Amino acid sequence: MSQQNKLRQLKELLLHEDRDEIALLQEKIRELEGIIEKQEQLASRVDPIIDKKLKQYTEDIPEKLGPTITESLKNEIANSKDQVVDALYPIIGKMIKKYIQQEFKILSDKINSQLQKSFSLKNWTRKFKSKVSGINEENLIIQELAKTEIQEIFIIEKDSGILIANFSKANTIDKDVLSGMLTAIKSFVEEAFKTGNDSLESIEYGLYNIHIQNFNSYYFAVVAHGVFDSAYKGKLEYELLNFAEKNLTKGPQKNISIKLTEYFNNDDL
Amino acid sequence: MTTSKKIVLLGHFGVGKTSIIRKFVTNEFSSDYKVTIGVHIFKKEVPVTTNDSISLIIWDLEGTDNIDLINKAYLLGTHSFIYVYDITRPVTFSNLEENVLKLKEKFPKTLLKTVANKIDLIDDINDEKYKDTLQKTDYTSSAKTGENITDLFDSIAKSFAL
Repeated sequence: MSQQNKLRQLKELLLHEDRDEIALLQEKIRELEGIIEKQEQLASRVDPIIDKKLKQYTEDIPEKLGPTITESLKNEIANSKDQVVDALYPIIGKMIKKYIQQEFKILSDKINSQLQKSFSLKNWTRKFKSKVSGINEENLIIQELAKTEIQEIFIIEKDSGILIANFSKANTIDKDVLSGMLTAIKSFVEEAFKTGNDSLESIEYGLYNIHIQNFNSYYFAVVAHGVFDSAYKGKLEYELLNFAEKNLTKGPQKNISIKLTEYFNNDDL
Repeated sequence: MTTSKKIVLLGHFGVGKTSIIRKFVTNEFSSDYKVTIGVHIFKKEVPVTTNDSISLIIWDLEGTDNIDLINKAYLLGTHSFIYVYDITRPVTFSNLEENVLKLKEKFPKTLLKTVANKIDLIDDINDEKYKDTLQKTDYTSSAKTGENITDLFDSIAKSFAL
């Protein structure tokens, strides 16, 4: 046996097990390659279907899961009110604090702006008023800024709800329809509570207040914006009575709307 | 010059009061039935002469088969009532005479018109079964086709101009 053959036989004897292992590994590598190749092939076919389904599912979530989620949230909130309040309290608190800070900043800016107009007649009048009344100037400015402003006045026939006269700073809604609706609301409330001769006297919404003042055959509805305190209400009632005495005692007259505008166009009552 | 007048539409549920008004005011009709809750108010100006017009403030009341149940304040100050019934539903005109009488007693000076609506849904208006009721009715109308709707309101407006 030649030297080379002996060496080969020796290699076969020594490396026999290693060769088997290598063959096994190669086999496994081929299998893995097959799987990867198949997955890629599969993915190229399946992915668009999954994407489409996923997109559809996402779009359907509000409709399909919305009621379930809402119901679950309702139950969850009902069952753990304290925890919900505890969780929301600091957030809402911060929001309110921020809002108030912002409003104070606006108010402060307005006061500064008012004070800076030191040479205006209004400013000198205020300074004089402050000296005479003893109310400090800042308080007078705050009072001016929170001033109540009349936006609209309607004189409406009590029974029919037909508009007799109107003064308006903004032409937003049909005044005739509004007068009818106000009368319908007034009639509904007065009929629903049946409290004798009592009548609806005011309606509030947001920063607006509708003051209603009844007369025998008609009523005034005054839409005011701003602080509507009892002092302002008293002044307004007096002015409405005064206007009615001068212009409405002889029944509806011509040009009442013009007279109403002339009388109330000035914001100072 | 424009004068405002209050018109109130009364009648059973679903007789077409709102449809009549919508057809007159906005020239629209929808077959979807939306029940009126409380009162809705519409407005349309009708010219009666070259210089004058009547502003009709139309109160669309919720339907009821018993007019005694209507909030009385809604009826006060009315210049004309329009009592509407559905010609295809006898229940809506079974108490027509009684309701008309009540209105005339309570509001003797107020104009009152009776209207048989949904006339487009019947095959023959001259059919004997409608004869008695239609004799007591001022107008036949169809909110769907618009038949007689403008005439109804125009005649009311013109009666105020006289």
